[in-house]
Amino acid sequence: MMLARHAEDLFWAGRYIERAEDTARLLDVTYHGMLESPLLDAASAWRELLELLYLEQAFAAKGQPVTDSTVTEFLVLDPGNAGSIVRSVARARDNARNVRERISTELWEAINILFLELHARDLRADLEREPYQLYRFVRTRCQTISGVSAETMSRDDGWRFLLLGRMLERAEMTCRLLSVRFGRSSHAAVPSDVHYWIAVLKSVSAFEAYLRAHRAQIEPQDVLEFLLLSREFPRSVLFALRASESELVRLGGETAPSRPERLLGRLRADLEFMDIHEIIDNGLPAALDSLQHGILAVAEAVERHFFRAAAPPELHVFESV
Amino acid sequence: MRFEIDYTSEFKYPEPVWESQNLLRACPTSDAHQTLLHYELRTLPVARVHSYVDYWGTRVDAFGARAPHDRLSIHARSAVETRPSGPMAAAPAWKRLSDPAFIEAHLEYLAPSRHTAWNEALRAEAERRAAPAGADIVGVVLSLHRMVGSSLAYVPGSTAVGVDVNDVLRGRKGVCQDFAHLLIAMCRSLGIPARYVSGYLFSESSESEREPQVESVKVKTHAWAEIAIPGAGWWGLDPTNRQEIGPRHVKIGHGRDYDDVLPLRGVYLGGGDHKLDVCVSIRREAPAQQQ
Amino acid sequence: MTSDLFTDYQRGDFFDEVFDGQGEIRPHYRPLVDRLRALPSDELLRRARLRDTILRNLGITFAVYGEAQGIERTWPLDLIPRIIPADEWRHVERGLVQRVRALNCFLEDLYLGERAALREGVIPTWLVQSSAGFCREAYGIPVPRGAHCLVAGIDVVRDAQGTYRVLEDNLRTPSGVSYVLENRATLTRVLPLVFAQHRVRPVNHYGASLLSALRSLAPASASDPPRIVVLTPGIYNSAYFEHAFLARQMGIELVEGRDLVVDDHVVFMRTTRGLSRVDVIYRRVDDEFLDPAVFRSDSILGVPGLLAAARAGNVSLANAIGNGVADDKAVYAYVPALVRFYLGEEPILPNVETYLLWEAEQRAAALSRLHELVVKPVDASGGYGIMIGPKATEEELAAVRKAIEARPRSYIAQEVVALSRHPTLVDDTQRGGGRIEGRHIDLRPFVLSGEKIEVIPGGLTRVALRKDSLVVNSSQGGGSKDTWVLAADENGTSG
Repeated sequence: MMLARHAEDLFWAGRYIERAEDTARLLDVTYHGMLESPLLDAASAWRELLELLYLEQAFAAKGQPVTDSTVTEFLVLDPGNAGSIVRSVARARDNARNVRERISTELWEAINILFLELHARDLRADLEREPYQLYRFVRTRCQTISGVSAETMSRDDGWRFLLLGRMLERAEMTCRLLSVRFGRSSHAAVPSDVHYWIAVLKSVSAFEAYLRAHRAQIEPQDVLEFLLLSREFPRSVLFALRASESELVRLGGETAPSRPERLLGRLRADLEFMDIHEIIDNGLPAALDSLQHGILAVAEAVERHFFRAAAPPELHVFESV
Repeated sequence: MRFEIDYTSEFKYPEPVWESQNLLRACPTSDAHQTLLHYELRTLPVARVHSYVDYWGTRVDAFGARAPHDRLSIHARSAVETRPSGPMAAAPAWKRLSDPAFIEAHLEYLAPSRHTAWNEALRAEAERRAAPAGADIVGVVLSLHRMVGSSLAYVPGSTAVGVDVNDVLRGRKGVCQDFAHLLIAMCRSLGIPARYVSGYLFSESSESEREPQVESVKVKTHAWAEIAIPGAGWWGLDPTNRQEIGPRHVKIGHGRDYDDVLPLRGVYLGGGDHKLDVCVSIRREAPAQQQ
Repeated sequence: MTSDLFTDYQRGDFFDEVFDGQGEIRPHYRPLVDRLRALPSDELLRRARLRDTILRNLGITFAVYGEAQGIERTWPLDLIPRIIPADEWRHVERGLVQRVRALNCFLEDLYLGERAALREGVIPTWLVQSSAGFCREAYGIPVPRGAHCLVAGIDVVRDAQGTYRVLEDNLRTPSGVSYVLENRATLTRVLPLVFAQHRVRPVNHYGASLLSALRSLAPASASDPPRIVVLTPGIYNSAYFEHAFLARQMGIELVEGRDLVVDDHVVFMRTTRGLSRVDVIYRRVDDEFLDPAVFRSDSILGVPGLLAAARAGNVSLANAIGNGVADDKAVYAYVPALVRFYLGEEPILPNVETYLLWEAEQRAAALSRLHELVVKPVDASGGYGIMIGPKATEEELAAVRKAIEARPRSYIAQEVVALSRHPTLVDDTQRGGGRIEGRHIDLRPFVLSGEKIEVIPGGLTRVALRKDSLVVNSSQGGGSKDTWVLAADENGTSG
């Protein structure tokens, strides 16, 4: 049992750190995908990325052309973009500061240092000169945060909410990645460009793991199956959902499963027992879409069930004659 | 006279309110001029009411509503018996106001307060109006009372709660709170202790003392003033209606000004801007004993 | 060169804590001074740096959370502790217990009793009624055991004769005790051998004592053990560090106003498993922000309906509402009279000589020597708004004179107390290890009104770090020292 407000802060800290990391990964892979396959149309690759992150409209509102620098700046350092890496890290830090008393000094410092270092860098120059270093920096710092939290937090409710936030965010981000990469009719025909699939696997650090499972055969269907349904690989959607579920179960402890638990259980079960050929035959875009909505519904249910208690701040004072 | 009073407040909110906490001052007091016979409070949503007597001696009902609601009804019923007060017969000399014991006993009613902070212009006006009465305290008070009643136009809705009393004087209009505040400020500016009273007035159009009928009127809560007369206690004056307090006035409580005894205040979370309807109905009952 | 740090020490014309009138070291300081003298200068430098590292590691900060970058400023702690021998402390302690007992009686009488002190003219009614701290909303709110000042911080100084006098009472949300504990934790590691040579009374039981005092405040309907929380305004408050520290020490939850909710006049905490009842609140939020339903504020720091819950006897607040009337600077002058009235005893600790400017004779006398006195507005806090006569310009004196004549009830005047001085290390992280100079100090002991009134041994010794300054507040450049109260059977002899 913990203060609803603290639980909410930890949940969102987890989500924002994961979001920052995953955004860096996606940027990395898009950028290098383009370097490795010069035939790929850069503008449409960036547009695809913006779509993936639900940020096409926000970017369009800026009235800038789609180029390497405008898009990467938007996604990395634009304080006006709520989904930028800089903003995600800032919010994670705010959340962490609110629960500073509950987390270890090391964890606070890991998050704070990421925040301070991002601010100290000339991000624009980094993006121009060596974006790879920057993305890698963000990725490794987030992985450090992950490691420090795992090593310094007791497995109490606070830990569970932190992990729940990260896993739900991860599941959703992977889903989105898949739905953009696979869900378009133009890719219904299997592209022969193997570099494309390598880029997809690398975006979730799954390349080597995939090869061990499938022995250098890069088939789009297998990639999809791996990233959706692998029980072993920690960034697959199923893995993330199962991890989320086990934390939710531990957070329950009541006589009947909570609503978020029921929603997530059903979602996970539907996914687990899917046949990959069935999915492809019956309509991949719809399946991925419904999965993604399912995850969002679970996140909302978590908010409502555990944090609803954390009240809205709008206070009205009145007097009457 | 005996009255049955029904005080009702209805809040309506455009969106559900998560929580509200309220403080109600609607219960008639018992003192030399009236006796409270019965008081009962109901709310919807149903709430546990905690009642207490505040620093000024007024009964307060505290209650909250925590289940989401878009409507809050407050219904207080009371029965009270009032007695006429005799005419003001005392005529103490002006210097009695400087008696240290008298001042000490009325400190809180001599100082300016949030709604009765007078400026030099107001004080000068008070002096001007008081001059003809000379050193007769009662005469001075009556002059001020008449001045307020005749100078101000009663215009409901013309002022918001908390309007500056100096602006009331300048603007020459207001509601009963403003009339009361102005009279109080003028008295205090001359060193005469005065306090604010919240209550109900059974106003009637006809003078029908001889045939007490059972009659019901719809009113708002009313405000008037009490002035401390050395050696004669508190003297109630209703400047809005230009009369002394009588058996038709039912007192809830007093304080330095409106802030200390306002009928209903509180907070709520969520809900948006509220709409509030207050309605008081007073029914005159036949007296318990026939004279 | 052997640095005898004390060779050039100027005692000056003040009561010095270490050196007596003949320049001899007071017996209870001898082991410390001997040890310091024996340290080579770079050793002292090393100790100062160790202290800084420890403080940084312990995360002791102040006013830090307001800074956007999360950069921490460490707390200025002087290496040389202040030492109080047992018999002196016994005297101070008795005086503090007596004073707090009388203050609790006064507050109980005022808000829940017959107001006897006013009726009998012990303290003027006008003073109480016009005090900004007099809180009419506190009237009738029950306080278990009459413990209005559950935690009191009473500021004590020593005058030129070495007499301990009370300078000021802090009865609302006194802060600083966390520094007392952290100073001790730090100094025992920086000067372990000196510490071991003395039998210093421990202070680290404060958390347990505070918890026990809070427990004893629980209302009748509380569970067993009672559920207690610390209510903080939040991370941007300058004392947030202490709120978090104390919550941790006591093993209880630190909450903000929005974590609490009142339902049917019972207070609950919002948790992930629903609402959990709260019985006692150690609140470090000021009165005016506690309950927006009662106090005129749209503050979100408070809890709507909290006061009604306290009235209904379902929750206890520490400290109680309305204590500001008793630590009012004007009421201060009457506290010795309150001690006599409520306890029938002579005050053990005197006030600083204070003149009531609303009494004609005292006002006339004060105005005739304004340049020699300190004038304080009745409502200030934190050391602002005070005029120190000997340091004031002609314009300032004239302005204050005018203000007093216009509103005599708004000011008091006091003799300038030549606060005692204590050897203090200046520039201690410079090469050469700094030097020792005298600096003015005061003392803030903390008094707990639990089942018994208890005083933590010593308290926070604050140091005016600027040369010749008398202002010790941390927000204006003050520092502190660890305060050692020696155990009873060691009367200051070494070994």
